[in-house]
Amino acid sequence: MVELDHSFSTGKPTDYNWEAIRDLDRIIPCVAGGSVVERTGPTTAKAEIKVKMGAMSMTFAGTVEVVEADEDAHRAMLRVKSREVGGAGYANADVTFALTDGGGTIHTAAQISGKAASMGEGVVVGVLDGLIQDFTTKLQAI
Amino acid sequence: MPLQPGSYALGPDDATLTVKTERKGAAAKAGHDLVIDVTSWSATLDVGAEPSATALSLTADSRSLRVRAGTGGMTSLGDEEKAAIAQTIDDEILEGAPIEFRSSGVEAGVDGGLRVTGDLAIGDARHPVAFDLAVDGDGRLTGGARLLQTDWGIKPYSALFGALKVADEVEVVVDATLPAGAAA
Repeated sequence: MVELDHSFSTGKPTDYNWEAIRDLDRIIPCVAGGSVVERTGPTTAKAEIKVKMGAMSMTFAGTVEVVEADEDAHRAMLRVKSREVGGAGYANADVTFALTDGGGTIHTAAQISGKAASMGEGVVVGVLDGLIQDFTTKLQAI
Repeated sequence: MPLQPGSYALGPDDATLTVKTERKGAAAKAGHDLVIDVTSWSATLDVGAEPSATALSLTADSRSLRVRAGTGGMTSLGDEEKAAIAQTIDDEILEGAPIEFRSSGVEAGVDGGLRVTGDLAIGDARHPVAFDLAVDGDGRLTGGARLLQTDWGIKPYSALFGALKVADEVEVVVDATLPAGAAA
C-alpha cells in the first residue's frame, strides 16, 4: 500500500469545487492519460488510463466510483479499481478529497501490482507522486 | 595510409551515421538504450594536401531517424514501438529541425587520423563540436562525438513524470568507407 498526501488550489469557491470533484466526466480526464470509457451511473464510470513509458505504454482499465460524499464536511472518496490490459497487474486506489475554501487536500491510498510494481516501490511512489502533482495542476483549470 | 587528396561524397549508401542514446532516472529499467540510424544525410569531405586544407560538411534530415535496436527495457522493442519512437523524435524532440555541420578546422590526428572542429547547427541553435576521425588503410573512416542535447536547446525526452529520461549526452558515430576512385 502506497499512501500519499497532496494539496491543491483552484481559487474557486468550495461549492464549485464540490461539484467538480464528484463530476467523473470532468475529474477523470484531469489524470494524465485518463479517459472516461462509459458512464454507468451518476456516481460510477468505466475508465482507463494509459501510462506512457517511452516507446512502451501500459493501459489500466476499470471503474471509478464516488463511494463517499459528505456534503457537510465537503469530503468525498473516489475508488479506482483497474486491471492492466493484456497483463496480470492491477492498480487500485482510494482517493479522498477534503475541500477547504479555494482548494483542499487529496489523500491517496494505492495498491499496484504487476510490471509497474516490479520497478520497485521507490519508483512507484515517485511516479504516483508525479501523476498526482500533475493532477492537482490540472484541477486549477477544472 | 593517409587519405588521398580529393573530394569525397558520403551518404547512407556507403556509410552509417548513428545516434546512440542511454536511459537514466529511477525508472530507467523500463526504458531502452537506443541505436538510431540517420537514414537521409549527405556529407562532403574535401581532402587537401595537408590536413589543414581539409574540410568536412554534412547535412542531415532530422525526420529520417529510425531506431535500429534497443537494449534493456521490460519488454523488447517491436516495429510498432520503434516507429513510435521515431514519431516522438519528430514531434517532440527534433521537430524536423534542419541539421548541418561545417568544419572550421582540421588537424592531423593520431595514427594518420583527423581532428575535426566546427559548428553543428540544429535548427536555429549552433554550437561548436570537436571529434576525431580514424582512417585505416582501406579508406575506412570512423569516429564519433559525444554531444549534450541541451547545448542545442533540446530538452531530453522524459516520461513517467521524470522517472524515465533519455540522458542529456548522446553519442553520434560515423562509419564510412570512402568510395574507391571517387576522389576528384
